[in-house]
Amino acid sequence: MRKFKAAAVTATMVGALTLAACSSGGGGDASGSPEPDTAGGDAPNELTFMFRGGDYDKLAYQAAIDKFEEETGASVTMIITDADQYATKLQAAIAGNKVPDVFYIEPGKMMGYVYAGVLADLTSYVPQETIDNIWSFGTDAYRFNTETGARGDSADPLYGLPKDVGPFGFGYNTVLFDKLGLEAPSADEPMTFDEFVALCKELTQSDELDYETWGTGLNVVWNSQAFIWGAGADWISEDQKTVTVDDPAFADALQWFADLGLVEGVTPSAEQAQTLDTYQRWMAGEIGFFPVAPWDIATYNSVAEENPDTFGYDVIPYPVANEGDEWSTWLGSLGIAVSENSKNKELAAQLATYLSTDLDAQKILAENKVQIPNLIDYATGEWIETDAPAAGWPANTKAFLEIAESKGKPLPGVWTYTPEWYDNFWIGIENVVDNGSQTAADFLAAKQPEMQQLLDQSWISADQAKAQG
Amino acid sequence: MATTAPPAEPTTVWTKEDAKASRKANNKLHRREHAWAAAFMAPPVIGWIAFLLFPLGFSVYASLTNWNGIGNMTFIGLDNYTRLLQDPYFWKALWNTVFYMIGIPIGLALSLALALALSRKIRGRTFFRTVYYIPVISSLAAVAILWQWAYNGDFGLVNQALGLVGIDGPNWLMDPTWAKPALIIMAVWKGLGYSTLLYLAAVQAVPRSLYEAAALDGATSWKRFTKITWPMVQPVTFFLVVTNIIGGSMIFTEINIMTPTGGPSWSTASLVWYVWNQAFRNLQMGYATAMALVLGILVLIVTVIQFRINRANDFSID
Repeated sequence: MRKFKAAAVTATMVGALTLAACSSGGGGDASGSPEPDTAGGDAPNELTFMFRGGDYDKLAYQAAIDKFEEETGASVTMIITDADQYATKLQAAIAGNKVPDVFYIEPGKMMGYVYAGVLADLTSYVPQETIDNIWSFGTDAYRFNTETGARGDSADPLYGLPKDVGPFGFGYNTVLFDKLGLEAPSADEPMTFDEFVALCKELTQSDELDYETWGTGLNVVWNSQAFIWGAGADWISEDQKTVTVDDPAFADALQWFADLGLVEGVTPSAEQAQTLDTYQRWMAGEIGFFPVAPWDIATYNSVAEENPDTFGYDVIPYPVANEGDEWSTWLGSLGIAVSENSKNKELAAQLATYLSTDLDAQKILAENKVQIPNLIDYATGEWIETDAPAAGWPANTKAFLEIAESKGKPLPGVWTYTPEWYDNFWIGIENVVDNGSQTAADFLAAKQPEMQQLLDQSWISADQAKAQG
Repeated sequence: MATTAPPAEPTTVWTKEDAKASRKANNKLHRREHAWAAAFMAPPVIGWIAFLLFPLGFSVYASLTNWNGIGNMTFIGLDNYTRLLQDPYFWKALWNTVFYMIGIPIGLALSLALALALSRKIRGRTFFRTVYYIPVISSLAAVAILWQWAYNGDFGLVNQALGLVGIDGPNWLMDPTWAKPALIIMAVWKGLGYSTLLYLAAVQAVPRSLYEAAALDGATSWKRFTKITWPMVQPVTFFLVVTNIIGGSMIFTEINIMTPTGGPSWSTASLVWYVWNQAFRNLQMGYATAMALVLGILVLIVTVIQFRINRANDFSID
């Protein structure tokens, strides 16, 4: 009888475990492997580091972690997830109180995490000379004043260090310019909008070469920011409280952007762009001007190597509305944060600093064209002079450094509690840029109140999150 | 005449002690049986409580709170529900989700027609059955990417095919009018094999005698279909309608891949896609949960109505 009882209990346990396994399997990865334990380390020298990324990230961080473990005697467990699952997995880990000691954080989600008490204030753990040697955007993106809700002020507490800064640069096809006998744009001075359009018209042809080419082909969602800013307009006021898209300068700039395709005809049509998107057309040598960012370099280099007759590229400043205007573009970043509840907070902060600033790791990442270096002294010295050219970075790579240093801005929406107000801007934008059924001015007049309402709601939510803790 | 003796009266005399002993034995047996029953029932019950009842209760509470999914919850009563009533994007997403249901009757009609065709002894029957079932077992993400190409406005397969018959097809996924129908066509194509398989089994299970009797009575093939086949496959139709409505209300993956920003003029955003965005992108987990529950209740109401209608139309063959 005892045997039967034991069997029954075993069966019950197996059944319950099977159910539990089924449940967790639903959200698991495709391999069916068990979910890793994301909880922070328990022992005094144990740390967990959760991140996402490719092979080179893994390679670079393994090198940095090996060195860190050797120097500190710590034991670091790396947890790598798929890029598209990272955010939800991190949120689930936080909700389940299994926050890793060190993890990636998007600057746009930082406010909520700080208010919830998830992120540790790193200000006292990171030496000032280390901070001074990182691009100021890279650290300011992770500074936050919990009282005022202000972001980006160097005097505020630091809740993360940059994994990278990603300058969204602009480039041109050097081969196409040569073929059409056009003078290359300046590597230092931005073109005006008029000069840009004139060049685009010369680049748009179907007779001179045995293939059709266009001046440019820019996706409005990712590429319009630099042009709007280049015209002196913006989506939001400096205090991040007012939506400013009803500024006439904004409407003019957006209309100008739309007219590149609708009036000037210097971009592939919406249908053509859908057939072979402009990114592919750019690499096929059919487009004159196109964005160039560090994460594209490896791909562009191999295309240039395979098709030297149609593709070559270099980086230039973004055009501006008028001569003498300041050019700018957006600068992305991903951060490395430390859990407020880590049992080894100081050690974790030390690891975050290593991951962000270890010279060997930075060299691996830059050599493999994953990112530009975070370290100013290395980036502006040895790297720009010898390492970058040797690794195949474009001739005018200093434009990337210029963006990191002074020309870069965060994407609108990144420094507010939620980006819903900014996402709303793109709903219906095709009526302005693709089919021209609405003027930019009409579109923006209708959009501003709706976006403002969502921005106000974002601030209310931020206040509520602050009160809830 | 031989007679048989009457059966002897039972000689056993039950005493009080015997009855007590029997009850005791029975109780012991019952207890053991109850224990076994409980042991066998425990896994599903525990699973139901842990993975359904508790999350449901938690969701109901979360929907009554202001919660960003990571911090503390603040009880705000029905505020999330009043907010969604005034949220135009909630209604737009709900309307889009309901619109997608148009694909259900279209899919069922096509799959029944296919099942009828494939139940006949035609050449290459197995091949066709396999071909129609392949989309069911294909990855939805991969299928969505393929259809994205097929719907290309300029050189997409769909417009090329339409061009052969002189139709200038629209720019499907970039046109607010055609984006939803495009997704419906894809969903119908993806689910056709599954519905066809179930209908095929149902059609083949219809007794041949019914058709023979109807033929003897001079019934036309249309009459045989409407009076025999259609009523006989009704349980399968009911099952498919119920499961398709539940599945259709959760449409997300294809939208997120084919129109990641909700489509032109937000024309493809489904309610689940909006819920996901609010929960994970906009840190409005409480509000998203309220929307999810409203969707769940709406689906429940529709399902109950379907069960009622189905019961009213129920029949059996004697």
